[in-house]
Amino acid sequence: MTRRAAIAALFLAIISIALGYASAFSKGGAPVWAAWLLALGIPTALGAIMILGAVRSNRGLGRLVIPFALVVLVLAIGFGAALALPGGESATTGLWLGLPPRAAIVIYGVGLLPILVLPVAYAMTFESQTLSASDVEKVRAVASERRAMESESINQRKAE
Amino acid sequence: MIPTVAMLQVALPSAAQPAVITVGVLYFAAIIAISVWAARRTRTASDFFVAGKGIGLIALTVASVSVSVSGFAFIGGPGLIYAVGLGAMYIVLPAAVTNVMGAWVLAKRMRLLAEARSLITIPDAIGARYRSRAAQGLSAIAILVGIVGYMATNALAMGVVINAIFGVGLGWGIWIGMGITLAYSASGGILAGIYNDVFQGTLMAIASVLVFLFVLGYGGGLGEISRTILAHDPTILGPWGKLTPLAALSFFFVFSMGSLGQPQAVHKYYMLRDPLQLKWYPLLKTLGLVLVLLLYFSVGLGVKSFVLGGRLAPLSSPDQATPTLLLTATPIVLAALVFSGVAAATMSAANSFLNIGAAIVTHDLPIALGRSVGNELRWGRVMTVLIAVAAAITAQKSGAMVAFLGIFGWGLFASTLVPALAVGLNWEGATRAGALASIATGLIVTVALETLAYWKVFRFPAGVTASAVAMVMSFLVFFMVSWLTRADAPNQLDPDIRLVMDI
Repeated sequence: MTRRAAIAALFLAIISIALGYASAFSKGGAPVWAAWLLALGIPTALGAIMILGAVRSNRGLGRLVIPFALVVLVLAIGFGAALALPGGESATTGLWLGLPPRAAIVIYGVGLLPILVLPVAYAMTFESQTLSASDVEKVRAVASERRAMESESINQRKAE
Repeated sequence: MIPTVAMLQVALPSAAQPAVITVGVLYFAAIIAISVWAARRTRTASDFFVAGKGIGLIALTVASVSVSVSGFAFIGGPGLIYAVGLGAMYIVLPAAVTNVMGAWVLAKRMRLLAEARSLITIPDAIGARYRSRAAQGLSAIAILVGIVGYMATNALAMGVVINAIFGVGLGWGIWIGMGITLAYSASGGILAGIYNDVFQGTLMAIASVLVFLFVLGYGGGLGEISRTILAHDPTILGPWGKLTPLAALSFFFVFSMGSLGQPQAVHKYYMLRDPLQLKWYPLLKTLGLVLVLLLYFSVGLGVKSFVLGGRLAPLSSPDQATPTLLLTATPIVLAALVFSGVAAATMSAANSFLNIGAAIVTHDLPIALGRSVGNELRWGRVMTVLIAVAAAITAQKSGAMVAFLGIFGWGLFASTLVPALAVGLNWEGATRAGALASIATGLIVTVALETLAYWKVFRFPAGVTASAVAMVMSFLVFFMVSWLTRADAPNQLDPDIRLVMDI
């Protein structure tokens, strides 16, 4: 169910990005809303493909729902704020951590905040959500069965 | 790849001073020593192509950082920030999510596939996923086309850097750089590549951090640098710089989603000794990348501020940002470290592509044709030599055509591999027909659009690139064909592959 939803979200996000690009071919260049399609489509696409990779066939997302939602929101809000907030940076613009506010939102929000969330969430949920020793053993067992069957079939062919 | 191509447009000033030459010689001596050690440990095709699945976490992480960054991060990238401002940051901002995204989407499944089937290449994984020699062969061809461009551009970039360090001329620079890379690639395969990448990645990180600290100190902190820029050219510090929002976001899309299809990075997932060590891989790799990219951000903005504030003379071209800073403001030893770091970045990428290209010719294409190569190790070495020599000759002879070949590398890998590999390994509804159609679409659309644009038959509207269009089309074709042929999907999965996808 979660995988289907992720695939649907990924498909819709790609459609949204495609429409954004297609609109740029119209006379007069890309309309204002084209950038919004990418600003919302990109976080959705990245979130969807991460969910697709993280979800296991018989389980949901578990505790990963929170970091995924947070990062998709951070990206969408970061891009959205850069598009929506008034521009006009000048010598008198106040600085946030050394950068004008809109730039700071993008550099620190989009570029740094996900680093504090996603890799840590990945490590903290690794055994329960991503890979455990028993998962690896299962794969090794199936692999060894497969190799045994292959070698049996080769021996049979040789015997014939 | 935009990165390497951008380096080709740089005529680096000569840095051939005793300190730079000494550091350069020490750098190449270290590379040779590592290669000799690795060559003694390379005995089988598995050692040669995937380091016998025996690489530890730290080595793999640093090596992966090293191949993810080309000379662009040191030369072309800061130049781009100097020219267009923060819009150029959208090329590197995706690093905040791409490593962990790759870990969730690909790392676990690729590493488990190596466990289940002893796979050694990316087309191997595609062939196993769809139980299709045609899909394996087509993806191999797509990767090979991309590698032709990458190798030629890397050979030329190496020539540019080595000429800047030693003053030997571009032609000799190409052959010296390619000769050394070839020596360690052919003798020690990916094992030599990995441990040289570790050395090269460490060098890049040290150089980047030192330059970052120097720029902040020289400029009086980021706030002072920003104030100088805001007083003279405030659009540089707008959220999109001088790019349109569509162009900046397009960079982000291509360099985030496209990262899932870059074989030089994805191939590394096979090599980790213990799959459970993947736990810390994204965190370590992301932190490593941030360190290496500090130079990209700081030099671009720093030099802009120093030029606008009158502390540095105006640049003859934006790509001179890093060389000018290094040769006029920083201590010469730091300049020497960075020049060696740039050489390291290009050699690291070239080694990875040599290895992947050799594996395709000796392993994937024969499998696709229903044949096998008797001694993959020996033929792997032979193909490595042939690809390197061909790349060096192409780099020397083709001029502007080399840049053209390199342009579509990143986009070609992204559009041909991301849907079939990244989505396909995580979605049981993906079908063989969908994968084949998607890979073919990516290949044809990328090559056609880039060729038409190169010959100026048409121009893309602002913000639209061939890479982005090809990747979007490849995705849509993949979904639509898979849905149309969805009845076939359950029959195209072997039980062990299904298990790997279920975990």
